[in-house]
Amino acid sequence: MAKILIVDDSKVIRDLLTEFLGELSYQVDSAEDGAKGLKMASDGGYDLCICDVHLPKLNGYQILTELGEARGKMQFIFTDSLPDELADQIRKTTGFACLGKPFDLHQLTEIITQSLEKIHT
Amino acid sequence: MIWQWRLSDMKLRTKFVLPISALVMVCMIVLAGYLIQRQSESYHRELESQGETMIKILAINAESGVLFESPYELDPLLSTLSHFSSVEYCLIQNLEGNIISHIGQNHIPLDTLQVLRDCGRESINLVSDYIVGREGKELFVLVYPISTEKKVMPRETLGMTGGVDLSLTQSTVSETIGWIELGMSVESVEQATTHATTAAVFLTLIVLLATILIVILIVNAVVQPITTLVEATDKISRGDFSTIVQTDHDDEIGQLAKTINRMSASLRQSRNEIEQYNRTLEEKIIERTKQLDDAQTQLIQSEKMGAIGQLAAGVAHELNNPLGGILGYAQFTLEKLHKNIPDKTTPKEIEGYLRYVGDIELQTRRCKTIVQNLLRFSRSSRTVDFDEIDVNQVMGGTIAFVEHQLRMNNIELEVQLGTDLPTLQGNAGQLQQVFTNLIINAMHASEQNTVITITSRYHHALGEFGGTVEFNVIDSGHGIAQENIKKIFEPFFTTKDVGKGTGLGLSVSYGIIKEHGGEITVKSEIDKGTTFTVILPVQKKEQLADISKDDNSDGEQSV
Ligand SMILES: Nc1ncnc2c1ncn2[C@@H]1O[C@H](COP(=O)(O)OP(=O)(O)OP(=O)(O)O)[C@@H](O)[C@H]1O
Ligand SMILES: [Mg+2]
Repeated sequence: MAKILIVDDSKVIRDLLTEFLGELSYQVDSAEDGAKGLKMASDGGYDLCICDVHLPKLNGYQILTELGEARGKMQFIFTDSLPDELADQIRKTTGFACLGKPFDLHQLTEIITQSLEKIHT
Repeated sequence: MIWQWRLSDMKLRTKFVLPISALVMVCMIVLAGYLIQRQSESYHRELESQGETMIKILAINAESGVLFESPYELDPLLSTLSHFSSVEYCLIQNLEGNIISHIGQNHIPLDTLQVLRDCGRESINLVSDYIVGREGKELFVLVYPISTEKKVMPRETLGMTGGVDLSLTQSTVSETIGWIELGMSVESVEQATTHATTAAVFLTLIVLLATILIVILIVNAVVQPITTLVEATDKISRGDFSTIVQTDHDDEIGQLAKTINRMSASLRQSRNEIEQYNRTLEEKIIERTKQLDDAQTQLIQSEKMGAIGQLAAGVAHELNNPLGGILGYAQFTLEKLHKNIPDKTTPKEIEGYLRYVGDIELQTRRCKTIVQNLLRFSRSSRTVDFDEIDVNQVMGGTIAFVEHQLRMNNIELEVQLGTDLPTLQGNAGQLQQVFTNLIINAMHASEQNTVITITSRYHHALGEFGGTVEFNVIDSGHGIAQENIKKIFEPFFTTKDVGKGTGLGLSVSYGIIKEHGGEITVKSEIDKGTTFTVILPVQKKEQLADISKDDNSDGEQSV
């Protein structure tokens, strides 16, 4: 089953996603700031990272760029609580989806399925 | 002194006419007087010479009559005098003083005449004088001796001549034998003089009148143009520069008139220019004041918006996570409730739970919309994509979206979209949001069975970049109170019930239209209706690119 990493400074979002995605029988881990998230992501083994844009220590975009080659086939789904320039930049340059909070769970699951399909193709 | 002052104070006409008339009059009087004097003198001389001639002729012819003292010879002689009207009387006397013959009446007292007569008797020459007779009648009286020639013997003569001239054998000696006295009436002379005087006076008057007339004519010819000039300059001095002095003279006055015309023309021009300047200045001041006001309002507005934007960004950032949790959990719960219903709960309870959680989800979505609207004020929300869009099509989409709601409210929609609208750079989603809000606002303001009109048209070269596109949303609803007009674009201003409106619609619309480089304006009359106008510029791509560049640099600081 696919492994998903959640990087979000908001506990309620981490809890919600952990439980919800767990229910959908994904293997879920989470980190509460950018530095931790980066470390866990680079340690490897995740198929997908649901990453907030605005994070303490390192923002979502930085995590992605720091990872570089180490990312491998890992996919990203960004979430943002503020549609600012950073979020916009991510939308425009990374090619990954960026969901505005509060997001729709059904929409999220759809995007997760799509992202995971990319790994296998 | 006083006279001088008066003269200088007199009108030009009087100044000319009076002295010239006076001068002419004096000249005429002097001349006439002199002429009359001369005339009268010559009349007298004529009378005198006539008298002299007459008396001398009479004396010669009366010689024998007197010698013989024969009135029969003398009377016919004197009667010839009756042909002369000027002869008053005539008498012939012998040496003893006896009147031998006479004609006419002697009106002169004898004692007055006596001296003259005595003189005449003594003299061998003519004696004459003017004598005033009875009744004041003046007469010219002449006395002349009548003499006879006596032949004297040479003897006698020799003794007297000393015998020098022997050839003169005999000589004649004249001897006085009587007198002749002739009285001539001066009346005719006086009459002639009076006639002459009358004529002179008459002539003087005529000449005087003619002079006055001519002087007046001349003065008029000179003064009339001057009066016109004076009137014209007076008008000009009172500010009437439209005055034009009509003149066909080519003299100094004509030139003066032309100069005055030129002067008034240039004054008129200057005044027009000054007025023009004043007007433009006024207009400029009004325009600038308005611009300043507008700029200030805009500054205040944008400051306000900026503050709201910052606040909104902070609030959004903080709210979106909890909202995400609420929405997520609500959806999660709903899903779970649908999948596995707990055994003990009744279907009715389940239905209740579903509704509760459903409501939570719905309200959270509402919150999400509010926060998103709020975020539009934040500068960071400006980075929307602009595409080449057909605004009529956007409006069409909006109408399709709201039509159902309008029909439910029994409100008719009249759509008049221009067919020549060009495409422009814009964000379809944002513009749709603006149009939706305008139509929904109009709907909320309208009574049932009324019409909302939507128009669009293209203004060719009004804007700087290829013209503008104008949209109007016109309703005949309750209108907006004057004091509220200024507030409607402010965030959170609403007159609607709590829950029905957030007061963000127009402020968001305002922000969106500004981002498009356009204008949104309102015209409203209480109980008559409201018209919202949106004007969007065509072709502003380069400028928009500049704005997004600025936003990027700002954005890095704000993160
Ligand atoms: N067509 C209209 N006729 C009369 N009043 C209007 C009209 N449009 C706007 N208004 C007034 O302007 C106010 C502000 O409008 P705005 O769209 O900003 O907020 P709202 O409609 O009250 O709420 P929201 O749009 O956020 O749901 C309205 O409450 C209303 O009083
Ligand atoms: Mg509204």
